[in-house]
Amino acid sequence: MRRGLVRIGALAAKEALHIRRDPFTLYLALALPLLMIVLFGYGVSLDIDHIPLAVHDEDRSPESRALVDAFTAAHEFEAVGALEDAGAAGEAFARGRASAVLTVPAGYADRLARGEVATVALLLDASDAQATQQALTRADALAQVVTAEVVQARLGGMQVAAPLSARAWTRYNPAGRSALFLVPGLTAYVLAIVCVLLTSLAVAREWERGSMEQLFSTPVGRLEIIVGKLLPYLALGGVQVLLVLTAGAWIFDVPARGDLVVLAVASLLFLVGMLGQGLLISVVTRNQLVATQASTMSAMLPSMLLSGFMFPIANMPGVLRALSHVVPARYFITVLRGVLLKGTGWAELWPDLGMLALFATLMIAASTARFQRKLA
Amino acid sequence: MSPAIVVDGLSRRFGRFTAVDDVSFEVGRGEVFGYLGANGAGKSTTIRMLCGLLAPTAGDAVVAGARVSTQPEEVRARIGYMSQRFSLYPELRVAENLEFFGGAHGMGGRSLARRLEAVLERVGLAGLGRERTQDLPGGMRQRVALAGAILHEPAVVFLDEPTAGVDPWVRRRFWGLIRELADGGTTIFVTTHYMDEAELCGRVGLMVAGRLPALDTPEGLKRTHAPGRVWSVRGGELPPEQARLRLAALPGVLDVQSMGAGLRVRVDRHATLGADDLAASLSGTVEVEEDAASMEDVFLAVVDAEAQRVGTAAAFGEA
Repeated sequence: MRRGLVRIGALAAKEALHIRRDPFTLYLALALPLLMIVLFGYGVSLDIDHIPLAVHDEDRSPESRALVDAFTAAHEFEAVGALEDAGAAGEAFARGRASAVLTVPAGYADRLARGEVATVALLLDASDAQATQQALTRADALAQVVTAEVVQARLGGMQVAAPLSARAWTRYNPAGRSALFLVPGLTAYVLAIVCVLLTSLAVAREWERGSMEQLFSTPVGRLEIIVGKLLPYLALGGVQVLLVLTAGAWIFDVPARGDLVVLAVASLLFLVGMLGQGLLISVVTRNQLVATQASTMSAMLPSMLLSGFMFPIANMPGVLRALSHVVPARYFITVLRGVLLKGTGWAELWPDLGMLALFATLMIAASTARFQRKLA
Repeated sequence: MSPAIVVDGLSRRFGRFTAVDDVSFEVGRGEVFGYLGANGAGKSTTIRMLCGLLAPTAGDAVVAGARVSTQPEEVRARIGYMSQRFSLYPELRVAENLEFFGGAHGMGGRSLARRLEAVLERVGLAGLGRERTQDLPGGMRQRVALAGAILHEPAVVFLDEPTAGVDPWVRRRFWGLIRELADGGTTIFVTTHYMDEAELCGRVGLMVAGRLPALDTPEGLKRTHAPGRVWSVRGGELPPEQARLRLAALPGVLDVQSMGAGLRVRVDRHATLGADDLAASLSGTVEVEEDAASMEDVFLAVVDAEAQRVGTAAAFGEA
């Protein structure tokens, strides 16, 4: 037993030296996650602002100008120019000059004055479905605001209350900032890729160099090699988690409202699981190139597409929703969002922690089992 | 005292290919046992089985008192192994490499530190512990590798072609170390394809195509497999091939081999054929000198005999 610990210690110390001497590993482990958080955090914003709006105003009245002002006042739409005729809309879309075209027909002001229904047209470039959806929602809200003003003006300044009003309070992320939604998911995604890649190279490298044969001629056991390889990367992963979450808190003001112990336990389990997945890939492929490809495919795609990071799991077709149950990032993201944004703890998150623990155990068991001591 | 290594009917097949075919021998304690053979003859496969790295398909071996088939962990604890593709970690310092291999054998603390100093001293690398392994020349790296294999004071050390690709002077020095280790009681099992290294072993096993057709001291091997007197013949006016045929046709000549610029002629000890007869059979100025049989003569004779026995050139065990 004591000798076993000495052997694991020797393996871990050696691996730590490799990490310290290899600038690529350090870059991969520390610089890459930070870089990705900053790039994604700033670049991948799901907030739609400044939608370029071209205006085709046939009415040219104070009322029509008031409507355009209402659209552009909050900078949700940005006026990019006036169109001379309706046919120019297609060209504006094609050239990418505008994503929305507002057409105010002649007689708009007159119809309003007569108390009739005045119709304006909003053309949207729907090639980006998500952006269109948001633009539509904004336009609807703006139209209601303008309608209310017109009605009020018509009634000579008398206050009217709408007969029905539904008020929505958005909790946890009241400003609807996408950074708050993205950073937890991003944390899981970045850690998944980097951790799987790190360990997948670690064992394959020993096979390629032939040092695995040397290692096998010593009394070191299979589980000892797996654990010895895992420990230093686990420490490195811990530093990564702290780094990424600190960056999230600093740069994007991501709060931490819940129990940080739960977060720490979840991080540990998730790291072991992902590092274990890398070890399994390494043990099976024995080749750094193949291991790299297998890692990116098996870590990146599910963690991006099936984890709820970008696409809500509830909206997925049944097959994909079922598949998402075996993606550990899914559970880690739930814990991250829970602890950081919602302030939840053990009581709510234990099933996710359980799944993370299960995955970690499976990965370590599978890599140990698949680890052939004998040489081919 | 029981022998350090007992090998009994050891075989290893890979699919239809038989890499090691029913090999049996014993190695005594403190002996330097050489394993000579061409590339692909089965030397490395044998060593891997003896180190518990590869399971035999038939037969068994006892190494340092532990059975390879049933106690591979025990075997690994008692042996040192220096593989052919030797694998120190180049970005680690010399001492870090050795500390790792010591740790892998469960050594640690003060005793490891003391032992490390002693081993570096022994292989002539005292004070070089802080050097990066990749910065050392090949010969020194090899001695570091040897230090790694003997750090935990194993009873048996396996060296798989330890001197491949190193210049002769460095090889000599390395063999001096091997000799010292054996004198200290460690059993050395070393594979090589250098004939001059085979001469330095206590006993030599000759491997051809997975079989072990010859095993003896270097002198014994020469007596059995390359008997007779050996003459070195240089000069003459005939083209080499013609000269070879002319000499081979003389009564009492056993064998003629090309050797550098000349020919080596092995003659039956009881034949009356002398240096003058050899010279007279060729025209022009011919230089004839008596020479000693070498391991090379032995090797070629054994390979020839095996080829005839099997009846095909497969006996050469092309890699």
